[in-house]
Amino acid sequence: MNVRNAARDETGQVSVRLGADRLCKSYGSIEANRDISITVAPGEIHAIVGENGAGKSTLMRMLQGIEQPDSGRIIVDDQVVDLTGPQRAFTLGIGMVHQEFMLAPDLTLLENLVLGDEPVIRALGPASTIDWRSALESGERLARETAAHVDWSRTARNTPVHIQQFVEIIRLLRRGTRILILDEPTAVLAPQQVDDLFALLKKLRDGGTTILFISHKLREVMALADQVTVIRRGEVQYTSPVAETDPDTIAGHMVGGQGVLPESAADAKSRQAVVGDVVLEVSGLTTPIVEKSHPLHGVGFELRKGEIIGLAGVSGNGQNELVECLVGLRPVGGGVVSFAGQDITHMSNQQRRARGMGYISADRRHEGLALEASVEANVIAGSQRKPPISNGGFFNRRAMRRAAEERLSFIGVRHGGLDNAAGDLSGGNQQRLVFAREIASRPSLLIVSQPTRGVDLVGIAAIHGILSDFRRNGGSVLLISEELDEILALSDRILVMADGAIVGETSASDADIGHIGRMMVIQGAGDG
Amino acid sequence: MIVDQVIAASLTLTTPILLAAMGGLVNRQGGIVNIALDAKMLAGAFVAVIVSSMTGGWFVAVLSAAVAGALVGYLFSLVITRANANMIVAGLGLNVLVAGFIGFILNWVYDSSGTLRLPDVQLLPKFMPDFVSGIPVVGLALSELEPLTVFAWITVFTLPFLLANTRIGLWVRATGNAPQVARAMGISGRNVQDFSTAFAGFFSGLGGAHLALASIGLFNEGLTAGRGFIALAAFYFGRDRPVTTALVCLLFGFLDATQIRMQTAGLPPKLIGTIPYLMVLVALCIAGWRNHRRKAVAP
Repeated sequence: MNVRNAARDETGQVSVRLGADRLCKSYGSIEANRDISITVAPGEIHAIVGENGAGKSTLMRMLQGIEQPDSGRIIVDDQVVDLTGPQRAFTLGIGMVHQEFMLAPDLTLLENLVLGDEPVIRALGPASTIDWRSALESGERLARETAAHVDWSRTARNTPVHIQQFVEIIRLLRRGTRILILDEPTAVLAPQQVDDLFALLKKLRDGGTTILFISHKLREVMALADQVTVIRRGEVQYTSPVAETDPDTIAGHMVGGQGVLPESAADAKSRQAVVGDVVLEVSGLTTPIVEKSHPLHGVGFELRKGEIIGLAGVSGNGQNELVECLVGLRPVGGGVVSFAGQDITHMSNQQRRARGMGYISADRRHEGLALEASVEANVIAGSQRKPPISNGGFFNRRAMRRAAEERLSFIGVRHGGLDNAAGDLSGGNQQRLVFAREIASRPSLLIVSQPTRGVDLVGIAAIHGILSDFRRNGGSVLLISEELDEILALSDRILVMADGAIVGETSASDADIGHIGRMMVIQGAGDG
Repeated sequence: MIVDQVIAASLTLTTPILLAAMGGLVNRQGGIVNIALDAKMLAGAFVAVIVSSMTGGWFVAVLSAAVAGALVGYLFSLVITRANANMIVAGLGLNVLVAGFIGFILNWVYDSSGTLRLPDVQLLPKFMPDFVSGIPVVGLALSELEPLTVFAWITVFTLPFLLANTRIGLWVRATGNAPQVARAMGISGRNVQDFSTAFAGFFSGLGGAHLALASIGLFNEGLTAGRGFIALAAFYFGRDRPVTTALVCLLFGFLDATQIRMQTAGLPPKLIGTIPYLMVLVALCIAGWRNHRRKAVAP
């Protein structure tokens, strides 16, 4: 019930709060975890780092009791435990904040807080009336202790993500969690919000909570964690106190010593002021105020030939709406969008594509790809009516296959058979598949939204390479990303968007991450 | 007078739809779209007539009907939650199955095709004192009141409180809204859904009992006349909110009452009889259009 209650058994001199002892887990022929051993001391923040697919999630699922290991033991408070299910882990005090928040969107935050452990006025089993007043009191007390401002009567759907995350943490603490597992908790946060979260986590640690922190952002690991463990290909590669290591060493272990960091210095230098023709011109763009979407307030900018503009901002400040207006998926309220000197404001997506616009959707799984369709169908989609693929209303299977192979090999998509479902590819290869399709039609402009979301380090490097090449060959890119690092690594100019408007602009050479971060959150009114 | 009669008939005809709709909306809030309400009403009506005839007691008959509906609902739920059957296909199947089973029993046990007339069927009692019939306009409706109608309307006004403030109410809403969240919080979504489907069956059974025991006192294979589906349309249109849904039920009840009047006024009866069902279509179109608009503006 209380943040500090967690410290009550500290006197018991536990040496291992949470441990894994040679855990193994296989799915079919794939060994997801092999002999994983970790030791987390009480009151420690322990970072688990590794690329996507390294086996972090499998390990977490076992520590949560969602999956049972094939062999090996799990230790809680120096005792070997048998985590038969999530409930068992929960009663032992292990609680997890998932990447997808576990809040019911249409329930209020207070309802979400007490769900499953409701204070009641009189115990009548399931028919008991819930004591909302005591629920509110406990919520407010925890919120005060964690220094969060929570409007408990809001529905989760209408709550900013960082508050949702706080509520999840508060809910776990309320139910007696002593071991908090966080799965990439900063993925959805703005820099200032990350600071708030880290302050909270440190406070919890000082109060006795043990924290397991999964991340692949080394800067955050260095800033927050006491201990770091690197997992690669299902095995522990490296473990060290954070004070005794450095980001390069950790990164080396993460990627296997090849040192693949996204950007080379040479490429950064090749960026200079771009003076080509204006390719995309947006002025005074507005959208009507409609329920649940963010209105745009007179967005305007110019994108030139051979230029990458990075659009930074906390998610949900109008970026999606802007992208949808630009690619013709959302009606425009006012303003003008012109592309290569032509007014395209009211053209359909198909017309825009025909004029050389490519679109990499942030929602790869729904808008970007048909996951259940074959790799071939996905990479051909959009060109199916053109010869030689289509011949007199019928497909030429051989030409289609040849075109698919060409497109895929052009940017090195690693795939099994062409007939395999696109959903079988890894996140990075799925995204490369989308790029392969979009680039095949030789567009002059790419609108790219969150290109590396859920993509591992090697995939990120490849995608950044594709974008840089595209620019070098005279293409223009509008890059929308929540990853400031990515924007800084690729953009010639950076625009900052907050509350449906462009609130700042900076050139890549003058970019200062703190300044951009402040613009992202301070100008944004929708984030209170 | 004609107004009195229309009001009284509307209220009576609303009750079975209303009972089924209250059950169905709880079910839907819990995440199951129950298209088998009609089957449960039919089962309830059948059991009500038999038990009422056997025991001569309306209360036992009504309770048996409700339990029969709940039982059918529970079995239906197991098929969905444990065997992972598609709820729409399973619901369609159940409608056919129950109708067929009842037809078989009618034929086999009672040697009758379609209609079951039994001796000594006790109808729902009208308990209001005599003087109420003297009240203008609503007097007739008041004097016609029987326990199930009163119970149905009490339910309408207590259900919002129960859904909002009891543990099971919260569990039902959480399960329907985000089943994985409910499960992560230690709530067995399947048990909650089984409960909510049994609840829907219980109320549909009551609705069926009302159909059989309100005035006619016999069972007929076509007795429900698709009222389970009208109830479905009602809570769709009422967006699962008890009071709004009740108003929609009242509209359907009113249309049902007026179409009966219009039939007696010499208009082609089969054609006029389609009015309530036509209105269901209209209501669903409006509901769909409204949802579409809301979705279109979502990000």
